[in-house]
Amino acid sequence: MRKKLYTVTTFVKINTKRFFRDKTAIFFSILFPLIFLFIFGGIFGNTSNLSFRVAYINQSQTESANQVGAILKSNKLFKIDPDISDIDAANEKMNRGQLDATIVIPRDFGEVNETLPSGKVEVIYTQNNQQAGQALGSILQEVMRGVNARYVETEMPFTVVATQSNNKSLSSFDYTFAGLLGFSIIGMGIFGPINVFPELKKMGILRRLHTTPIRVWQYFMSTVISQLVVGTVTMVVLFSVAIAVFNLKVVGNIFELALFLALGITSILGIGLALGGWAKNERQAAPLSNIIVFPMMFLSGTFFPRFLMPEWLQTASNYLPLTPVIDGIRLITTEGKHLTEIGPQIGLIGLWLLIVYAIAFRVFRWE
Amino acid sequence: MTHIVEVKDLKKSYGDVEAVRGVSFHVKKGEIFGILGPNGAGKTTTLEMMEALRDIDSGSVTIDNIDVSEHPYKVRAIIGVQPQSPGFQDKTKLTEIIQMFAAAYGEKVNPRRFLDDVQLGDKANSYVEQLSGGQKQRLSITAALVHNPKVFFLDEPTTGLDPTARRNLWKLIEQVRDRGISVIITTHYMDEAEVLCDRIAIMDNGMIIALDTPKNLIKQLLARGFKKSQKVEQANLEDVFIDLTGKGLGEHTS
Repeated sequence: MRKKLYTVTTFVKINTKRFFRDKTAIFFSILFPLIFLFIFGGIFGNTSNLSFRVAYINQSQTESANQVGAILKSNKLFKIDPDISDIDAANEKMNRGQLDATIVIPRDFGEVNETLPSGKVEVIYTQNNQQAGQALGSILQEVMRGVNARYVETEMPFTVVATQSNNKSLSSFDYTFAGLLGFSIIGMGIFGPINVFPELKKMGILRRLHTTPIRVWQYFMSTVISQLVVGTVTMVVLFSVAIAVFNLKVVGNIFELALFLALGITSILGIGLALGGWAKNERQAAPLSNIIVFPMMFLSGTFFPRFLMPEWLQTASNYLPLTPVIDGIRLITTEGKHLTEIGPQIGLIGLWLLIVYAIAFRVFRWE
Repeated sequence: MTHIVEVKDLKKSYGDVEAVRGVSFHVKKGEIFGILGPNGAGKTTTLEMMEALRDIDSGSVTIDNIDVSEHPYKVRAIIGVQPQSPGFQDKTKLTEIIQMFAAAYGEKVNPRRFLDDVQLGDKANSYVEQLSGGQKQRLSITAALVHNPKVFFLDEPTTGLDPTARRNLWKLIEQVRDRGISVIITTHYMDEAEVLCDRIAIMDNGMIIALDTPKNLIKQLLARGFKKSQKVEQANLEDVFIDLTGKGLGEHTS
């Protein structure tokens, strides 16, 4: 037995070294997911708060107009375009969809008639932006009420009180990041073997190995371990960047997360071993892996959260091999769950692991 | 006389095609045994059944008294196999190739020693993709011998090599035989068989049609009244090539 494990450890050592000499392999395993992280992180990173892109045009010189302007500028709901100073420019940008609305303070705003200053703030929006325009109108109404209170005392019988709960909800990035790790695991676990194995078969390398007493389990085991080493490096890089650049907060226990990731990578790698081990050449490997991998990739929530799917699809995709991996990663990372609390996910991964490895051992071919 | 390999009435069919139709022979300890024949004669299939790479339909092969179909893993542990075109995974150093092969047999070896055996010591830390065809063949041979096998199989080892590299390889194969390892080799080249092999089996249509030493086979042919139609030259073009480029055997490293 010790001799058999010596075979495994030697293969692991040399094949892992080999991986880090191979720039293409490094690119696809580590850099490629990292690029995706920056793209998706950039898109979903800071859209969690509502805001309006507006042009602010003040045509009045009065004290009250300046007050309103100061309030608008300090309100985070408004993103005021600094380049626009007249209506025509604002209209052009609104027509192109680059602005939600234009807020105009007319010339006569704030002029005193009788005893108090008065005026009307105008909100201009296009037909396609009715919702944003109306919402803006309501918000401005509220702003004006604050301004009015300085001049006229009013008592409102019914009011609304907004209270922030103490719970931190999931941001888009939290979903994106877990999905991205799923994507990276697919890259390592499935696209790796289905590219490498047919190549090794074409060159007769596996056939040659078959003339030695090496067993399939030794070969599989060495592949799994060296893939886990590579996976560890990839995950450390991705997590470091996500924490440093995108403010990801890992709430869960790192050790439990690592264990869970190892389980996930091993089970997904089983799919790669089955496909790559079965295929005699690239022509056999490519179509089958596309049929299996792409639907799984999209339905398991790699690129968009599964709660956006219709209900029946959510139920069906619950049982895909990658879904519990991605869900589990999110549950541990952002919700701080312990391994004991994600039993259903671990159980499902374990079940898939048994199934895919049973298939992989059965269909493996040395040439 | 001990027979290290015993092949009895070996048969193999692919669908309706009978690739090997009842082949029997034995290989003596420490001899170079050649299997000759045209393409499709069943040489490779015979070899693959002996190497436990293909299932045997009927008949039997024993190597060192171990039955191949009953104990394929035990047999693999005592044979070395050189495939037709040796491929190695890239980005791997020569020393690592040797280590991996040894590890596949569960052994730990000093890779330098095996590389020195085939004059590749100075390439120890190069990657395999930097080797020439002949160098790869030599690496492949030494890699097949890391576990000190009792029988060494070579499938058309010199196909695609230049004449100098071929002669180098012959010398290497003879050295392997001199270490007491029995060698079984298939080839298309008659000159190779004549120089190298102690005994030859000629296969055609999945059967052995002649089996003897090269000398005896030639004698038998002459006894049948055969005469060569052309006068034999004292030297041929290959001799010229070797004379101009080879600088003697063994020194050329291509």
